[in-house]
Amino acid sequence: MAASSHRWLHEQLPQWEREGLVTAENAEALRRRHAVDDSQPGLAQILMGTLGALLIGTGVIAVIGYNWDDFGRPVRLLFAFFPLLGSQLFSLWVLRRGHAAAAWVRETAALLQTLAVGAAIALVSQIYHLGGDWPDFLFWWALLSLPLLWLLKASAVALFYLGAIALWAVHQCEHGHVWHDSAMLYPLLLLGLLPFWPGWRFDKPLSLSLRWAMTLSSGFGLSAAAYEAVRQHFGKIWGDGESFIWLMVMTVTLLTLVPLRSSALAAPARHKPQVVLGFLFLIGFGLLMTFQEPAEEFVKHLGKAVGIPWALGLLAGNAVFVALALWQKRWALLVVVATAAIPALSLLPGHALAPLTPWLMMAYLFTAGLGLILLEFAGKRGAPRLGAALISLLILARMMESELSLLAKGIAFILIGVGFLVFNLVLGRRRRPAGS
Amino acid sequence: MKKLPLLLFAVTVLAQWAAPLLQIWKHERTLAQGSVHRLKCTAPDPYDPLRGRYLAVRPEQEESHVDKGLKLVSGQRVYVTLLDGPDGLARLSSVHLTPPESGPYVRMSVRWAGTDGLVHLEWPFDRFYLNEKLAPEADKWFAESIRSSKGVVAEIRVLNGSAVLADLAFDGKPFREILKERVK
Repeated sequence: MAASSHRWLHEQLPQWEREGLVTAENAEALRRRHAVDDSQPGLAQILMGTLGALLIGTGVIAVIGYNWDDFGRPVRLLFAFFPLLGSQLFSLWVLRRGHAAAAWVRETAALLQTLAVGAAIALVSQIYHLGGDWPDFLFWWALLSLPLLWLLKASAVALFYLGAIALWAVHQCEHGHVWHDSAMLYPLLLLGLLPFWPGWRFDKPLSLSLRWAMTLSSGFGLSAAAYEAVRQHFGKIWGDGESFIWLMVMTVTLLTLVPLRSSALAAPARHKPQVVLGFLFLIGFGLLMTFQEPAEEFVKHLGKAVGIPWALGLLAGNAVFVALALWQKRWALLVVVATAAIPALSLLPGHALAPLTPWLMMAYLFTAGLGLILLEFAGKRGAPRLGAALISLLILARMMESELSLLAKGIAFILIGVGFLVFNLVLGRRRRPAGS
Repeated sequence: MKKLPLLLFAVTVLAQWAAPLLQIWKHERTLAQGSVHRLKCTAPDPYDPLRGRYLAVRPEQEESHVDKGLKLVSGQRVYVTLLDGPDGLARLSSVHLTPPESGPYVRMSVRWAGTDGLVHLEWPFDRFYLNEKLAPEADKWFAESIRSSKGVVAEIRVLNGSAVLADLAFDGKPFREILKERVK
């Protein structure tokens, strides 16, 4: 429960006691159980600290950017190293205080030091008229800031690092020429965030923004790595775009299947952005595979894609994660992830059955949609809205492909929309407790 | 307090100082001990949000002939020898995969290798940073001078493959001197 919810509970308890909703003992037990720790700062305090550090840091960079032509090189270099030294001393002071240092002070110190490092590198390049692309600058800046994540556990630096490595990886597509200078380095860079990885003993619950940042960064960074793996394997990307899409599908399934702790399994969907975005991508992919032309084209390239060493790594990772998902009984997840494997099924008896892919995919998606609805009505944990959405999208896809008139299509769209809304309403009433 | 975080912090601080200091050492050494060469330039004028105003410096010669047996790929690091001409301007002479044993050379990367025996190269510098106050005047000066037949000349220092842009000049006169006279 968030600190703000604890505070709300404490505000309500006296009123509940007066109304006889809870006894004095129960209220006291609730107060103890959901104690408010006022020594820790609120979100606003952390944000203000971060904003202050950002303003000071960008101010220093802007002052440096002025280019003090009247001073010699040594004096100008001092401009860069003084803020760096100051921020390092501040971080050291925070580090020595350990847990006594408030979270917002830690955030501020880490961010100031990060910005001071960036300013120092920028000034050296300015003084010596060094060229180079800004993503390279960003790469070294992020790497030099990375230990601050471990030491001060600063979310702002984590967000910066995630953004920087993703930007660098995307920029390196077509630019990098050896694996360690290409987007294929991204997975190693991502490992730098281990302290924030759920399940580590010094792990604190990930904030929502950090979860989304991590998912988006991993999505872009690993897709860039897949692109580079295809380019380096075939020597080009032109004509092999389908192989890249296959590697992206494998990447998305891997991210979607990332094992979760049992406590995280029951968390709301917004706490699992990798699952939300993965579902959207895979359902989109599944729908695309119900169209004859793209399905045949993609299936034709599957064999080529699987021959890429990067794909073998992704498949191995997927196999491990699928086993873990089976063990954790994440059925709905497995049903959606299996969409990616359906085109491979049509290849099992040989390429002659490749034209059947759209039919196989359609049958699978329809059955999956129906299954997710029926599970709910059978009293088990299903996903009826997802199931209904899946079936509606399938019907819409077929309508788009059909030769029917615009009028007929329009009426069908309206009917499906009304049906979907009615289903949503029925489901809402069914779930509402009796008497409410 | 535990020793490991302090140790890790010390290593971080060292790395954060070492990265810029190594660059400073490398470029100061080249500026102090490197041989001087002059290159004819062509250029426009942009802005870098982190490092301020600069003149984009582009040496006129960006390609060189390569031996037929030498297969080069885009992004590959090569060593290119410089040859000073009778006009005092340096030209790219020959491309090597390893540092040549004699003569000044610059470490460059291959942009692309053409089928006509020419390789297009990327210089290790592409900008000359300026004071914000001088920048507008420098823009005007650069635009006027670059069209002249004499052209803008970049003065570089070269040492062991490393090249540092030391100054810009026009008609033998340093760029800063010209600029100060114009601003007066």
